[in-house]
Amino acid sequence: MSLFEARDLTVSFGGIHAVRDLSFDVEEGEVFSIIGPNGAGKTTVFNLISRFYDVDAGTMTFGGEDITRLPVHRVAQRGIARTFQNTELFEHETVLKNLLIGRHVHRRTMLAEDLFFLPRVRRQDLAFREKVEDVIDLLDLQSYREQTINGLPYGVRKMVEVARALCIEPKLLLLDEPSSGLNPEETEDLSFWIEDISEDLGVTIIMVEHDMNLVTRMSDRVLAMADGLELAVGEPREIQEHPAVLRAYLGD
Amino acid sequence: MRFVLKTRYNQDIDLFQHNGQRFWYVLLAVALLLVPLGFDSFYVGEMSLVFIYAIAGVGLMLLVGYTGQVSLGHAAFLAIGAYAHAWFLTQGLPWPVSLALASLLTAIVGAVVAIPALRMTGIYLAVATLAFSRIVEHVITHWGSVTGGYRGMAVPRAEVFSVSLMSASTFYYVCLAFLAASLVAALNLLRSPSGRAMIAVRDSEVSAQAMGIDLARTKTLAFFLSAGFTGLAGGLFAHKIGYLAPDAFTIVTSIQLLLMVVVGGLGSMHGVVFGAIFIGLLPQAVAFLRDASPPAIAEIPGLEPAIFGLILILFLVYEPLGIYGRWVKIRLYFQEFPLYRKATYKRQKSYLRTERVR
Repeated sequence: MSLFEARDLTVSFGGIHAVRDLSFDVEEGEVFSIIGPNGAGKTTVFNLISRFYDVDAGTMTFGGEDITRLPVHRVAQRGIARTFQNTELFEHETVLKNLLIGRHVHRRTMLAEDLFFLPRVRRQDLAFREKVEDVIDLLDLQSYREQTINGLPYGVRKMVEVARALCIEPKLLLLDEPSSGLNPEETEDLSFWIEDISEDLGVTIIMVEHDMNLVTRMSDRVLAMADGLELAVGEPREIQEHPAVLRAYLGD
Repeated sequence: MRFVLKTRYNQDIDLFQHNGQRFWYVLLAVALLLVPLGFDSFYVGEMSLVFIYAIAGVGLMLLVGYTGQVSLGHAAFLAIGAYAHAWFLTQGLPWPVSLALASLLTAIVGAVVAIPALRMTGIYLAVATLAFSRIVEHVITHWGSVTGGYRGMAVPRAEVFSVSLMSASTFYYVCLAFLAASLVAALNLLRSPSGRAMIAVRDSEVSAQAMGIDLARTKTLAFFLSAGFTGLAGGLFAHKIGYLAPDAFTIVTSIQLLLMVVVGGLGSMHGVVFGAIFIGLLPQAVAFLRDASPPAIAEIPGLEPAIFGLILILFLVYEPLGIYGRWVKIRLYFQEFPLYRKATYKRQKSYLRTERVR
């Protein structure tokens, strides 16, 4: 059984079929990339997995559990974390606070305990901070810890978002165009971090990405899409030379 | 300039970050405790009113400044707290029980209001809460058997074990204690997961959801707590004004409360207190100015709302973070003197999402 299975996913907005009959499996520990020209439905697939959209037809299972109708806020609890194409951070808070919010799914205290800040809440927060510091160390964010997001450069924000997703301790990490807006050097760093996340933490990664270089280097398998349809699935080399993919990108 | 070296996570979690803060807050507490001894009972009464406004402000700040939900209807929660407390007292309930029940009842009404409010944001939410406060006003005027309708109702005297709380100085201490407790509860909330969830909802609803935060639950909770604090303030306010009538809780009160948190500084608990001092003492300051100025100026009608409006506009234009934002800058100026750079805050004139119309 694969970690994540999508079967015949279909969703349309008005007359536009954003995704049609899309099926794919993601194996545990894999780096799985989704590529395709603009408007192919890549981000829609992410929004389906993280349950921002309801599917019109089809099913999704994660770790054997059917998540097709899971309420949106339960997705993170199950161990699926994501980043956004244009970062969606908590702008007025520090990096540290952002990462602490990432620990939210691990909270065990009730409102009444929080209001009195009972010792249990403090212990929980200390445990949160230890985990957060691990992530900060992993992604080298030490120097930004106390800075608020609205003063940070874009490249750093992108990494903070990845860090926040890692604070969930996910089994599956969805990266939506992680390299967009990064300079070549930052993209290089990113590829090492993706490798660390995949190999050291054992997190399965699905990534939407335009940088073919990065895709070829990082991915175990690639799904190519166009107009909401699957074009091909396979190893990066195969996909790059696949006639249907070439046609979608370059025309006839 | 102070540099706090953090060696333990607990330092970050504690309410006071360093001994300097502890020193100043202890000093402030001592000063506040001594006020009734040194001042005329009129001023002591005005200070209690400031504390009551601040308690309501804590509630409104949680909702507006930290969860990003606008409310133009908080006078309604103040009214519900006040009338409920007065009614429970007339039914013979002991004072603390009555106040607690009034606050709880208001909180529950807040949670019920949250249900339709979950689907609205920004200006729509503002209008919906405004409508809610009109409904409450109508209920108060027409539910004569409980509220006394237009005639209003007298508020029974506050007594605990037949010790009266009504003298200016006793009431001052009661309000001060409730304000301190409210502030500590709110600050506790903000440093724990429940409060962080609210902040997450304020800054980005999508990513709050992606972090596993239940939007409906968090917003309902914010309304519940906000109404609860405001209801508590309402109960104390009832004693302060002594006689409840519907015209004490109109749209003007709602706007005043909202102005308080905006002028004080959205997204800060200091702002609540600054804002409460501002709206609590401004009428006195204007009256004082009237007395001190020549008749040509002193006799201008409507001076008070005009000054109020002017100050508000100046704040919105020059200091969106309110009095607290200004205070932070002044403090930094002295800390870094003579190296303060004027440009430090140049790019930081950012607005909270609440303030933008979406």
